[in-house]
Amino acid sequence: MIVENILHRPIRTLVSVLAVAIEVGMVMLVVGMTHGMLHETAKRVQGVGADIMVQPPGASLFFGLTQAPMPVQIGDRIEQIPHVLAVTPVLFQFITQNGINLIYGIDLPSFDRVSGGFVYLKGGPFEHPDDILVDDWYARANNVKVGETLHFLNHEFHVTGIVEHGKGSRLFIPISTAQDLSGARDKASIFYVKCTDPGYTHAVMSSIRELLPSYQVHSIQEYMSLMTSNDLPALNAFITAMIAVAVGIGFLVIFLSMYTTITERTREIGILKSLGAGKGYIIDVILREAGLLSILGIFAGYGGTWLAKRAIVAAFPTLTVELTIHWAIWAGLLALGGSLLGAFYPAIRAARLDPVDSLAYE
Amino acid sequence: MGQLFLATTAEEAGGTHRIGGMEPIIATENLKKIYRVGKVDVPALRGVDFVVQEGEFVAVVGPSGCGKSTLLHVLGGLTRPTSGVVLVDGNDFMRMNDAERTKFRRHKIGFVFQRYNLLPTLTARHNIALAQHIQGDGFNPHRFDAVVEMLGIREMLDRKPYALSGGEQQRVAIARAVICEPKILLADEPTGNLDTENSQLVLNMMRSLNRDFRQTILMITHNPEAAAVADRIVRMRDGRIVSD
Repeated sequence: MIVENILHRPIRTLVSVLAVAIEVGMVMLVVGMTHGMLHETAKRVQGVGADIMVQPPGASLFFGLTQAPMPVQIGDRIEQIPHVLAVTPVLFQFITQNGINLIYGIDLPSFDRVSGGFVYLKGGPFEHPDDILVDDWYARANNVKVGETLHFLNHEFHVTGIVEHGKGSRLFIPISTAQDLSGARDKASIFYVKCTDPGYTHAVMSSIRELLPSYQVHSIQEYMSLMTSNDLPALNAFITAMIAVAVGIGFLVIFLSMYTTITERTREIGILKSLGAGKGYIIDVILREAGLLSILGIFAGYGGTWLAKRAIVAAFPTLTVELTIHWAIWAGLLALGGSLLGAFYPAIRAARLDPVDSLAYE
Repeated sequence: MGQLFLATTAEEAGGTHRIGGMEPIIATENLKKIYRVGKVDVPALRGVDFVVQEGEFVAVVGPSGCGKSTLLHVLGGLTRPTSGVVLVDGNDFMRMNDAERTKFRRHKIGFVFQRYNLLPTLTARHNIALAQHIQGDGFNPHRFDAVVEMLGIREMLDRKPYALSGGEQQRVAIARAVICEPKILLADEPTGNLDTENSQLVLNMMRSLNRDFRQTILMITHNPEAAAVADRIVRMRDGRIVSD
C-alpha cells in the first residue's frame, strides 16, 4: 500500500524526494566544503615541511585574517637555538582576485631548506623581484602558463614557474616584493622552523617561548589538530545554522506533503478504519510512507551530492569538497528524523479522524 | 468450504450479556444516538429496540434520514451510541472504548458500502488482502482462493478499481468484507449504485453467503426488491423501528 500510494501521486513524490535530496545535499556539501577547505589548508601548511610555526602576538590561525608582521631578524635569533635546522620567514598577502587566495612572500633559499624545495612542473625559480610561482591547481583553475603576466596587488607579476601543490600557498612571490607592496619592510607574518629531528620539537618550542615570551608558538601537529570546525566557533555556528536550515526545509516539505495527503485521503483513512485499522496502524502507514519518501530522498541526495561535488571541483579546481561516510550517515539520519517528525502530526491527525465523517468525505 | 464462514471463534467474551434469555448476535434496547451539529442536538436514533439472531438475513428499510445508516454505524462500532444498550456478539458497545470497538470490528464485522470504498491505489487482490493484513493473522491463501472462487472475481484480481465495473467493484468489496470470516456482514445500500443485472448478482451472492454459510447479514436498502431477498424486513422512520 505504501509503495502504491507513492507511485499514485508522482508529482507529490517527486517534490518530497527532491526536498529531502536537497536537504541531504546541503548538509553534505556545506560540511564537505568547510571541512575540505580547512583540511586542505592545514595539509598545505603541513606540506611546508616545518615542525614549528611562530607568529606574533594576536595573530590568527587563519593566516589571511591578520598579517601581524614581526621583524625578520627574529628568524636569525631562532636559528641560533640548538636543534634548529632551518628557519624561513613568510609575509602573507591576502587577495580576493580569482577566489580567495593567500600569497606567500618567501625567501626562496631558506624556504627550500625548510620545505625540501619546490618541485617545478614547468619553468623555474624566481629570477627577478616581479616573478611569481603558482601551484599546479591554481594554474589549471585559471589556465595560467609560464611566461604569462598576472595582475595582483596593483602590480604585474611574471609567472616564472608552476610548482607542485601542497607547500603552504598556491601563489609565491619574493618576500622583499611582498614587503615593498605592503609597506612592511623587513617584516614577516610567520616563521616556519624545521628542527634537526622532529623529536626536538617540544624542546625547541620551549626555547622559542623563552626567547619570545608573548609570541605564539605552535607545533605543526598542534596546528593540524586545531584546524577543525570545532575549534573555530564561528564556523561551527555557520555549519549548524546551515544544517538547521536544510533540516527545516525537509521537515516543512514532508509536513506539508503528508498533511495534504491526509486531507486528500480522508475517505481512504475512513475505509481503513472500517476494516478495523486502529490508530497505531494508521500512524504506522503514514510514518512508513514518509520514511520511504525520505529514504528515496536520501539516496537521491547522495547521488546529487556526488554529482555536485564533481561539478564544483570541475568549475573551481582549487576547492576541496570532503565528503565522508560519517557525514553521509549524519545527513541521512537528520533527513529521516526530520521527515518522520514532519509526518508525525499529520499521522496523529489521520489517526484521530472520525471513521463515519471520513467515510462521508467527498 | 462450508467451514469458511463458521470458523470465527468467540473472542472478547468478558462483556457477554443476554437479553430475554436468548443469545442474539445483535441486540439493542432503547438505543439512542444524538449528533451535535453546532449547538443543536440532532437525534438520529430515538430508542431502537432490535434483535438479530445468528445466521439471519435482515433488511432495514426506510426513507432517507430515518437513521438506517446511523444504526449500521453504531452496530459496526464506527460510532458510539449516546445511550441505551447495544450488544453485538455479547459485547456491550456502551462499555467499550474506541480502541476496543476497533479491535472488535477488525475481527467480527465486515462492511459493504454503496460506493464500494475500495482503495483506488490498490489492485483488487491487494484490496482483499488488506483486510487480512489489518486483522493481523497474515495472508491466508486458502481462504483467499475460496472467497475469490465463490465470488467469481479471479479474472479481475490484478485490476485496480478504476478498471472494474460497479458490479465487479462491489463483488471485490464483498470479498474484502468476508475474507476474515466476520460474524456479521453490514451492508449499506450495496446495490444503490448498480444496475438491475448487477444488483441481482450482488444480492444473489449475499443470499448465497447467508444460506450456504449462515453468514449473518444486516442490509440497509431503499430498494424493495433488494429487501425482498432478506429473511426479514425491518422498517424505520424518524429514528425508530416502526415494523419488524
